[in-house]
Amino acid sequence: MSTPLIHIEHIARTYEMGGETVHALRDVSLDIHPNEYVALMGPSGSGKSTLMNILGCLDTPSSGVYTFKGLDVNEMTDDDLAEIRNKEIGFVFQTFNLLPRATALKNIELPLIYSGVSSEERKERAIKALEDVGLGDRMLHRPNELSGGQRQRVAAARALVTKPSIILADEPTGNLDTKTGIEIMKLFQDLWSKGNTVILVTHEEDIARHARRIIRIRDGKVESDTINPNPVTKFELP
Amino acid sequence: MIRIGEIQESIRIAFEGLQANKLRSFLTTLGVVIGITFVILMGWFLNGLDTALESTVNLLGTDVMYIDKWSWSGGQNWRKTMQRKNITYQQAMEFCNSMKTAEVSLPEAHKWGTTVKERGRTITGISVIGVPYSYSQLPAGTILYGRFFSQFEDEYSTNVTVLGYGVAKALFPEGDAIGRTIKIGGRTFEIIGVIIKRGTMMMDFVDNQVIIPISTFFGIYGMTGRSISVAVKAGSAEKLDEVRAESTGLMRSIRNVPPGEEEDFSINETETFKEQVETLRLATWGIGIGLTLLSFIVGIIGIMNIMFVSVTERTKEIGIRKSLGAKSSSILTQFLVESASLCLVGALIAFTFCSVVIAVAVHLVPEADFLTPYVPPQLILIAAIVSIIVGILAGIVPAMRASALDPVEALRYES
Repeated sequence: MSTPLIHIEHIARTYEMGGETVHALRDVSLDIHPNEYVALMGPSGSGKSTLMNILGCLDTPSSGVYTFKGLDVNEMTDDDLAEIRNKEIGFVFQTFNLLPRATALKNIELPLIYSGVSSEERKERAIKALEDVGLGDRMLHRPNELSGGQRQRVAAARALVTKPSIILADEPTGNLDTKTGIEIMKLFQDLWSKGNTVILVTHEEDIARHARRIIRIRDGKVESDTINPNPVTKFELP
Repeated sequence: MIRIGEIQESIRIAFEGLQANKLRSFLTTLGVVIGITFVILMGWFLNGLDTALESTVNLLGTDVMYIDKWSWSGGQNWRKTMQRKNITYQQAMEFCNSMKTAEVSLPEAHKWGTTVKERGRTITGISVIGVPYSYSQLPAGTILYGRFFSQFEDEYSTNVTVLGYGVAKALFPEGDAIGRTIKIGGRTFEIIGVIIKRGTMMMDFVDNQVIIPISTFFGIYGMTGRSISVAVKAGSAEKLDEVRAESTGLMRSIRNVPPGEEEDFSINETETFKEQVETLRLATWGIGIGLTLLSFIVGIIGIMNIMFVSVTERTKEIGIRKSLGAKSSSILTQFLVESASLCLVGALIAFTFCSVVIAVAVHLVPEADFLTPYVPPQLILIAAIVSIIVGILAGIVPAMRASALDPVEALRYES
């Protein structure tokens, strides 16, 4: 087996809320290897979003070990974490999180700006990423001029444009109708089959069934971590 | 390290924001607009004042002093000055004949507010100055065209005159004064020369004068009942102290001022003008700086306030940017660039406004020719730098708050 991309060991995350300590995660350990397709499942409040934030280096654990590509995340400064997010992780959010005033192209260029890519190369790569998600003709549209599915595809293009090690998708179909949701899931399937590592956070069984491995979280702990014997590979409307 | 791409992106976002909220941006920058307007107008006025001072000093000559009954600075007790005895022509001549250190010294007799006639036309408010022929050696006697009167014309009380620039321009706008005649004090004079333009707004009377031989002057206006000025040209600025010392001693002895008593005459130098201008300059600075600071404080508070609003409105955007790899320093830069841009736009509005004000002011008051009809370029640079500094001061606290936002919290924020 290859060296894990992500290795977490006994991590916990607690918050202070109104004088009370909330245990969002308690003693979670898992490894994720390159080119895995993982679904993090759990009901609302289970701690899956907290786990996603930690995996995505948006947050750090209160205790435990997290190594990303062998590097100790706990030892990293805020700037180091920003750099990991920029170069290694591509986020796709439920609410798309596109900048409303920027065009599709500018939105995709954004992570490249923070990694210091020259403006010509930025534009070139952003156009390519947009074309790859089938939106080559929507470059100068702003998010409010795009449909939900198109917005999520722009978000996916933005996540992919830096060629990250991991695509981290948080309820990516949550705001989409079934048909568009299927389109997006097909996109993730394609990404995975091209060698990307995809981590999907969802509470929907239908969505989770696309993944090859399903990790169920409940009350801040890993309830089960299983290989999906029958992943969905056909993308048809029910 | 902040990358150029990030700064370009920040500038782009800043101007997008300005465009999206035009009225809000304009109202926010109003304080800065007023502040920068004060900076530009104050600088413009002081700049003009310096030009005026320089030309006044040049026209009088840096090495020339005037011994007079009156003090130019007007700082002394007016009543006391009034009670001084006139400097008589005899005293002036005794002074000039005994003077050793100075290059030139000569008496000047003045008749203020006279009328000069040329054919049908009359100009009033003209000074007639009676001087000896050696006046041409003073900076004030520099000829534009024609010539100065000779020793012969001086001694024989000839009716010849050299016109001040203002008089020549008013009577002979085509520059054909030489050889023509004018009437001064009821007598006809032949015009033989015109003096160069010397006046500024502070000293415009110097162009509105006619110069005649002193002997002729006395023939018309009489020798008594007036105080004679003595013009003393030291020859160089280094000799000023020596010449001043000799002048004081000489005049005290001629006018019998007992030792230990205050002089009953004044030695007026270009330095006096500098002092006066300095007072005006300080007053301008004082008022200007006070008003500028006040408006900048108002401006900074306004911009800081709107930047806090902007940070709150864009909390989600900050979260998105952080999730895409923006470092705290990038977010800090973005908001600093935004507030600096806001101020820079304010400076631009102020600059446009001042250009109009200055153009109109110079047009309405043509005598104010010491003031430039445009905003001096160095002031534009100063205004730009000041506005950027103000922007950074106003933006630093909101920008720090934005950069310190927790990415998870920021992403979760819903406006």
